[in-house]
Amino acid sequence: MVLLHVLFEHAAGYALFAVKEVEEVGLLIPQVEETLLNVGKFNNIVKLAAFSPFKSAQSALENVNAISEGVLHEDLKLLLETHMPAKKKKALLGVADAKIGAAIQEELKIPCQTGGAVVEILRGIRLHFHSLVKGLTAQSASKAQLGLGHSYSRAKVKFNVNRVDNMII
Amino acid sequence: GRGGFGAGRKVIVEPHRHEGIFICRGKEDALVTKNLVPGESVYGEKRISVEDGEVKTEYRAWNPFRSKIAAAILGGVDQIHIKPGVKVLYLGAASGTTVSHVSDVVGPEGLVYAVEFSHRSGRDLINVAKKRTNIIPVIEDARHPHKYRMLVGMVDVVFADVAQPDQTRIVALNAHNFLKNGGHFVISIKANCIDSTAAPEAVFAAEVKKMQQENMKPQEQLTLEPYERDHAVVVGIYRPPPKQKK
Repeated sequence: MVLLHVLFEHAAGYALFAVKEVEEVGLLIPQVEETLLNVGKFNNIVKLAAFSPFKSAQSALENVNAISEGVLHEDLKLLLETHMPAKKKKALLGVADAKIGAAIQEELKIPCQTGGAVVEILRGIRLHFHSLVKGLTAQSASKAQLGLGHSYSRAKVKFNVNRVDNMII
Repeated sequence: GRGGFGAGRKVIVEPHRHEGIFICRGKEDALVTKNLVPGESVYGEKRISVEDGEVKTEYRAWNPFRSKIAAAILGGVDQIHIKPGVKVLYLGAASGTTVSHVSDVVGPEGLVYAVEFSHRSGRDLINVAKKRTNIIPVIEDARHPHKYRMLVGMVDVVFADVAQPDQTRIVALNAHNFLKNGGHFVISIKANCIDSTAAPEAVFAAEVKKMQQENMKPQEQLTLEPYERDHAVVVGIYRPPPKQKK
């Protein structure tokens, strides 16, 4: 049996989901696809294990920059250390990006997986995220994205002041 | 300022066949959208105010020579899928001129995730987004959706105007991450940007084939004549629901 957890990074914070135990992760795909459109059914497969909201806009920006570059941030490390099950069990972590997976594997010795069923589960979580996490609404979830989108983009544009794509006349 | 649309003359604005889009009947008909931020132009486009009793509504002219979506609508596209309340992932947002019209169309209940890689255009895009809270600016490379996965939710429509040789792959990558099952894609293809040696029709056909391999089912294709040369817009559905067995 494999105990699969899935990491979902949202503008509001990090969320760790526990996936129903299965023999083989690959067997999940048809089940997940079937339940994707129904929150109730999706809830039978995926359960929220932990949610750690970002403390401030500043910390959210640091985290989004780290995630974007595939770097393991302290906040994420803390969440995984606290909430991933003990290593004796065969625990597996599904992540969206192979680079962050490699970083987690190296630092925390948690085996990571990308692609296949993980992609489908993440699609489902992205669709239902605001109803899977208590205290979050569709509106507040997109407000978090709006705020973070602005600060991330502003920093991007500002960061590279010297690398402006100059107009050639 | 004044002028345009026969200044001071009575104009009538009628809803277009596509929800959330309007036609202004004047000396010449014009495509318009309802201004989300009345009193302001985004890129110097003309504005028209219509009074209906107490209610005053402002519209902004949408130029088909500057916007592929406007060109597709005037070209008679059957479905554009961008309508009030939907969430749109807009790849290749540039300075945000067309994005501002999409923001008008989806309205306060909708959302536009606007992705643009160029920092120069990005600056303008951020400024447009400051005034329109339904636009979430994402200055990042659309080739790497995992870089902005924290900023984007599931969307109903992906629109792409990225003019890159591998643009179908770019759209597919984004669709796999962010487009709902049964959601739609609208892709503007500039034949020259894909392969400048082949005939435009051959390029369009090759792109459509690539889409089919990515679980993207094209439903409609039209050229953007007379507004753009050798351009086509392809509209389709992503992961269409399985057909009911009879």
